[in-house]
Amino acid sequence: MAVEVVIPMLGVTVENGKIVEWLKTEGDPVEKGESLFIVEADKVTTEVESPATGILAKILLPEGEEVPVLTVVGLITEPGEAIPDAYLPPGASGGVPSKGSKATETGEQVDFAEDAPATQTALSGPVRIVPAARKLAQDRGLDLHSLLPSGPENVITYDDVVKADAPSDDAVPQRISTLARRQAEAHGVSTDAIKGTGVRGRIMRSDVTAAADTVRLERKVSRSAAEVDATFGSVIPMDSMRQTIARRLAGSAFTAPHVAFYTDVHMDPLLQYRKSILNAFEKHYDLRPSINDFLIKAVALTIREFPLLNGMLKDDGIHVLPNINVGLAVAIPNGLVVPAITDADQCGLKGIVQQRSDLVGRALKGQLSMDEMERGTFTISSLAQFDITFFTSILNPPQSGILSVGKTRDELYLVDGEVKVRHVATMGLAVDHRIIDGAMAAGFVQGLKEKLETPAFTFMHT
Amino acid sequence: MAITTEGNYDYDVAIVGGGPGGYTAAICAARGGLRTVLIERDALGGTCLNRGCIPTKSYIYDTKLFRSVRDTPVIRGGEKVQLDLAALLARKRHVVDTLVSGVQGLLRSNGADVIRGEARLIGANCIQIAKSNGELAELNVRHVVLANGSRPAVPPFIKVDGRLVQTTDELLDTPEFSGKVLIIGGGVIGIEMATIFLNAGADVTIIEMLPDILATEDKDIRREMKRQLKKRKAAVLVATSVKEIAIQGDQARVTFQAQGREQAKTVTVDKVLVATGRMPVLDGIDSNKLGLETNGPYLKVNERLETNLPGVFAIGDLIGGMMLAHKASADAETVVDNILGADKSVESHLIPRCIWGLLEIGAVGLSEEEAIAAGRKIRVGKFPFAASGAARAMGHPEGFVKVVGDDATGEIVGLHIIGEHATDLIAEAVSVIKMEGAVEDLSEAIKPHPTLSEAVMEAALDWNGQAVHLPRKSKR
Repeated sequence: MAVEVVIPMLGVTVENGKIVEWLKTEGDPVEKGESLFIVEADKVTTEVESPATGILAKILLPEGEEVPVLTVVGLITEPGEAIPDAYLPPGASGGVPSKGSKATETGEQVDFAEDAPATQTALSGPVRIVPAARKLAQDRGLDLHSLLPSGPENVITYDDVVKADAPSDDAVPQRISTLARRQAEAHGVSTDAIKGTGVRGRIMRSDVTAAADTVRLERKVSRSAAEVDATFGSVIPMDSMRQTIARRLAGSAFTAPHVAFYTDVHMDPLLQYRKSILNAFEKHYDLRPSINDFLIKAVALTIREFPLLNGMLKDDGIHVLPNINVGLAVAIPNGLVVPAITDADQCGLKGIVQQRSDLVGRALKGQLSMDEMERGTFTISSLAQFDITFFTSILNPPQSGILSVGKTRDELYLVDGEVKVRHVATMGLAVDHRIIDGAMAAGFVQGLKEKLETPAFTFMHT
Repeated sequence: MAITTEGNYDYDVAIVGGGPGGYTAAICAARGGLRTVLIERDALGGTCLNRGCIPTKSYIYDTKLFRSVRDTPVIRGGEKVQLDLAALLARKRHVVDTLVSGVQGLLRSNGADVIRGEARLIGANCIQIAKSNGELAELNVRHVVLANGSRPAVPPFIKVDGRLVQTTDELLDTPEFSGKVLIIGGGVIGIEMATIFLNAGADVTIIEMLPDILATEDKDIRREMKRQLKKRKAAVLVATSVKEIAIQGDQARVTFQAQGREQAKTVTVDKVLVATGRMPVLDGIDSNKLGLETNGPYLKVNERLETNLPGVFAIGDLIGGMMLAHKASADAETVVDNILGADKSVESHLIPRCIWGLLEIGAVGLSEEEAIAAGRKIRVGKFPFAASGAARAMGHPEGFVKVVGDDATGEIVGLHIIGEHATDLIAEAVSVIKMEGAVEDLSEAIKPHPTLSEAVMEAALDWNGQAVHLPRKSKR
């Protein structure tokens, strides 16, 4: 019997999702647990698995259209089973999704139509192709519509792809040196269009370098040209990440009354402390702790003393969350994500460095899971690498505290009438004033300052 | 092809010098459709065939055979065998003659003209030739390739008499390898000649001015070579300079001084071999008059191997760098491609170095020290021949393979082999590097058993801590 495929719940705060790519086409056999499509929601993409084994009989939501979660987007039938009438649009194929259908959940039976076979031809509509052939065609960069099917019911077989990709000249499919391939991988350069200059067209490292340079140049040129010709006076469509940022930050700013508290933190003790353990740390753990790692730890320890900073205001009261998960705002191309380090108060410095470097690394590659983005209970936003003295941040809802970290600067100060120089960073805490009063916020800031200024004691047990 | 062969020129390209650079250039140019002439004043084949690579290898293998028979426990009476020096010389001559006439045949079959005589560069397009038959000729040529080669460099205070004080030029034609010999210079030539003398049974002292012998090689390779020399009772004096050579009858008294020592020492020997490097032959090239730019003693060329005189190219020992036959040949192919309109340069990191010492050395790329000095983050893999079944069966379990690979990309930054067949084994690494293979490419191909090529594979595996025939490494 037919099983509906829906956009799953992707996180407590996620409302909508958009299929960025179907990994199967109509008519493909699918296994339960096999990836069906990639959905983008709230800045991240997730692969969604098939809920059943059978045939992907119908795709109801095309790529690129945003719909609420739990929308039915496809239908899996048993081989030979017809598509139920209810899913057949009254005209063209690829019709309107049947929003919010709870058929499978409520156990309602769906009527099956006897006379609606889901066959297509390669010449019109979606392409029918066996999975291995699809994979091969993707790897070789072939347009599916250009392939001539030889399988039953116009299905494109593996051999069809092999045949289509057979070299027309004397070159073998794609010859690339090991070092060129590794360089391409390391720099994310596609080798498909590169013309090799090595023996018989072998792609060499210099070819990859040249291709990367060309891409960079083209981007640069197109950007500067775009700045002049296109950007001003144009309308930039909001991608789902930008929409999410807009919605959440506006929601936060207009719901939670923000108030900010600043203090100057004397950074020399922490800088010296970090320096003193850096070599041994790197030697033992092969990890390099950054100032942010110490900050994350110190913040988590301070939250333990001020549990409301781990709280969230909801309809039924203030939920003080059990785990202290400190999020770190990471700028990525075209936006921002906030992966969170779990149990930062319990976690040793080594564990924090490990988590942080892993999360930041994957954030930049767009490989964070929804949970990693949603689990934060407090956020740190650092602009220390910019020439920004201090700033405030909008709370990352529904959190109630966010710490803004400015650059570390030189400052003159007096010791026994003598002028000295020290390193100082201004930190600002913004809180949800509905649940956190000024005295508590001030206490938190002061506690954090103390911890950062006495690092040997603060990090004694980590 | 960017070049036409018409015009008022006698030839499209004239090549001065018939060594491995010059004759290769002539063959390639003629094959490329250029009207080609090669001018040689002496024998074709140059230093390589007549006074270098080939004669020394003939002697190396002959004396090695002698030494093997002498030392092997499986042949009885080996201690009674003797070297037949006349036969040694005859075989060398036969080898050389065969190869020289082979080169002549190749030039002829490819349609390159050969003129015997002394060439003088008059201008960018003009060469004057004092022919061997006494005639004087002048050629108008579109391009010139100078491949004049090199000759032994001898310090000014040393007088080579050809009898007691020799360079390789004299020694290779008067093979006497007994008695006490002092070799000045612990570079490639000094080490190879020491090998011949030691295998023939002579008493050898090597004096090297630099802090170590074979200065361009990896430190582990140098250490192993010094160990071998010591084992064969050769005296190796590094950081030591020869001050004076005095002839006393049939012997030479050599005075030398170690750096930092006030006291000079003296030794009396039967022969002194001066192996202090080589210098370019600039006969017939008046760089001042022609306005040719130089680079120290060498001619200066750009990446395309062209001098500052348009159309005049220079290759091989004349331009310095690695003074090796195969480097000259690589230069030659590059230069002809450039004359034919290409824009090529020689990839110097791909030029292998081969040394026939008591153990052979084959190396390409950077040594471990050079790689580190260049700021490369590297990893080293090593495999001793002692763990190779093939090396054991051959009775040559000494030596090792050392891989220097880029830690991140696996790029083969350098490969160093010392031991039996090292000079042949290095070729695999050169090919893999040329194809931009990584260290793993050396180990992932299946190697024939039992051969020494397995040692290269195992060293590559060891680079990843995976060598099969080595004890397990602690987890990195």
